[in-house]
Amino acid sequence: MTSAVLKCCPVDVTVNRSLSTGKLHRVELLLQTKLALGTLDVLLSKSFLCARAVGVSNMIAKLAKTCTLRISPDKLNFILSDKLASGGVSMWCELEQENFFSEFQMEGISAANNEIYLELTSENLSRALKTAQNARALKIKLTNKHYPCLTVSIELLSVSSSSRIVTHDIPVKVIPRRLWKDLQEPTVPDSDVSIYLPVLKTMKSVVEKMKNISNHLIIEANLNGELNLKIETELVCVTTHFKDLGNPPLASENASQARNPEQMAEVHIDIRKLLQFLAGQQANPTKAVCNIVNNKIVHFDLLHEDVSLQYFIPALS
Amino acid sequence: MKNEVRRRLLYGGPQRPFYAVKRNSSLGKRRRRGGVKSRSFEKRGQHPGTRGRQAEARLATRLVRAPAMLKCGMGGSQVKVFGKAIQALSRVSDELWLDPSEKGLALRSVNSCRSAYGCVLFSPVFFQQYQWSTSVKMNDNDTISNLNCKLGMKSILPIFKCLNSLERNVESCKIFTRSDKCKVVIQFFCRHGIKRTHNVCFQESQPLQVIFEKSTCSNTLMIQPRVLAEAIVLFTSSQEEVTLAVTPFNVCIKSSNEESMDLTSSVHSEMFVGPDEFDFFQIGVDTEITFCFKELKGMLIFSEATHAPISIHFDFPGKPMALSIDDMLLEANFILATLADEPSRASSPQSLCLSQKRKRSDLIRSNSKAGKNVTSKALEHISRKAAPKRLCPNETLTDISALENCGSPPLKRVSGDVGEVPASSVRRAEEVLASPCLRKFSCMFFGAVSSDQHFSHPFDSLATASDSEEDVNYGSFSTF
Repeated sequence: MTSAVLKCCPVDVTVNRSLSTGKLHRVELLLQTKLALGTLDVLLSKSFLCARAVGVSNMIAKLAKTCTLRISPDKLNFILSDKLASGGVSMWCELEQENFFSEFQMEGISAANNEIYLELTSENLSRALKTAQNARALKIKLTNKHYPCLTVSIELLSVSSSSRIVTHDIPVKVIPRRLWKDLQEPTVPDSDVSIYLPVLKTMKSVVEKMKNISNHLIIEANLNGELNLKIETELVCVTTHFKDLGNPPLASENASQARNPEQMAEVHIDIRKLLQFLAGQQANPTKAVCNIVNNKIVHFDLLHEDVSLQYFIPALS
Repeated sequence: MKNEVRRRLLYGGPQRPFYAVKRNSSLGKRRRRGGVKSRSFEKRGQHPGTRGRQAEARLATRLVRAPAMLKCGMGGSQVKVFGKAIQALSRVSDELWLDPSEKGLALRSVNSCRSAYGCVLFSPVFFQQYQWSTSVKMNDNDTISNLNCKLGMKSILPIFKCLNSLERNVESCKIFTRSDKCKVVIQFFCRHGIKRTHNVCFQESQPLQVIFEKSTCSNTLMIQPRVLAEAIVLFTSSQEEVTLAVTPFNVCIKSSNEESMDLTSSVHSEMFVGPDEFDFFQIGVDTEITFCFKELKGMLIFSEATHAPISIHFDFPGKPMALSIDDMLLEANFILATLADEPSRASSPQSLCLSQKRKRSDLIRSNSKAGKNVTSKALEHISRKAAPKRLCPNETLTDISALENCGSPPLKRVSGDVGEVPASSVRRAEEVLASPCLRKFSCMFFGAVSSDQHFSHPFDSLATASDSEEDVNYGSFSTF
């Protein structure tokens, strides 16, 4: 009976509402919220880990305004799959908890569903972590003070060699169980062409200039290691050619035989979405692959050291 | 004579029967002074009509009184400090008073809600050359009046931007003004023989001055600006207010949480600083004060230039707090209003009973006289609210303009000395804004004045106050 109540009841109770109800009811609501929250208690105790956490949060903040953080026993995911709000763009970022956290304890909302899904404003997280750039240690906890929040506790080494504690409470929204199915890992589509990306900084500066001409960008690539970025307007047509990029080995042999290596697969996309994606990449990734499904979607698969990022931009309708 | 009459008509001034002084020579003198033939670009915001007025004013002053005057010069490195002071004061308000006195040159700024006041006093030793004088009216009643010079921040701030390049290129800077001319002349003598002259028009306005006894505050902290700067990074620009909570064991700087704020979207941050980080740590009473963030940032900008520690003097919530820098060459004071606790709030019990009564008075005194003969003095006890960002810049809110004129000091004669002025009315005004959340603030006024209809307190008195900021003399109110 209790578990049924847990599943049905909405977890996102606002403070004002809960306070205005009767006392008993309020206690019940809070109790349900607490149980449905799960627990999270992590520690990053090395300063280079803190710096990397800062880097990840900065990248996420640039890519998505609001995103979902999924916490499971072995990894952390930043998910953007609100297709309507983001105009069809979706993002899946994954990192292994072992590589980041010195201590990691989590408990999902129930034994069967040992995961926590939180929705937060990514800028809040990145700004809170900004102070942790040179921190000695960083603790993140899921708490429920008046409302669920991620409490980030940063231990700084101050100039007078005494440590200073900075605490940030970032409000989060717990996503109820029934919505979890929308937030699963997207399936990588069967792409027509798969190609390695050029240096992202160069690509970004090219796309930035093209944005001034038109919003409609054509990405095309072929299996010969050629990638083109095209802008076409009535007055002018601009194309940037990237050559000798290399193609990753294809999954299935049939596809490679059937396709002419010179043939281009293209997608028409909104240039601003591509620019937002490129703006989020501060450092050059270890691996960067672009998969194009002709006229459907372009899928970017990046690997920054051990953080994997997948970004999907759909074609313009 | 005929030529002069013709010229006079051109400028549109009224006819004068007799010229005491020939105008030609004075015009010539002006031309010769600006005679260095190298590139000099001047900001001439004058239209033909002003010439006539200037001439009249000059004539009038020659007949009647010697004008108040300020002339000072400083070297390249001091220009940077001066410019930083102006930048810091620009965070307080859009207007700046230049107020020379025997103590030095004071730059003063008060914000429109009268909830923040900044003053940077440069001692004469700071300048390479410092001359000033008051004006003496010879015909009327021998009144001594100071240089009442109010500049718009928009005019003067661009002159002192790019301070790093100024420091590199400027060898010396001269500032010159007279109360009969309507402009301040700022000249930069740069490298390669370049001279840059700026003429900034000023308005005649008596500067306001807050007298705040720092020594009587029970809590004093002195801290290196770097520590505060680290704390500031924590807070986003959307945070308007910062709370400083002190106990004898530690100090906590945190983002202020108002119940009316949207709790679920903003990050709450806290930073604990131990007593050993402070140069001076004296806590008399455990308190939590909340004040506006903007002015603190302004103060930090200035402290970077001076490398001197910042002193924070404060007491209980509701009483203004002071941020000050004391150096050999200059003294900077920023007096900020703090949010007064509502008596009904149970959250900070230690401050409840104190917020209603004031043992000491904070005064605003209109600095009408430079000398000892203060013929009219208005004493007011003002304890102000913390100014929310939304309220401050919006001068069209009639509530606020009424408030500010209540706060503005009328030149009323009050015999005797500064007496104990008990706060006799607590006013709560509900802000009329788009957001449904109510933002409550309490202001205490000596002679509470507002015709705000939300006002429910029995001790109110309505007063008429003019809407224009210039009419500081004409507000009238009753005293309790």
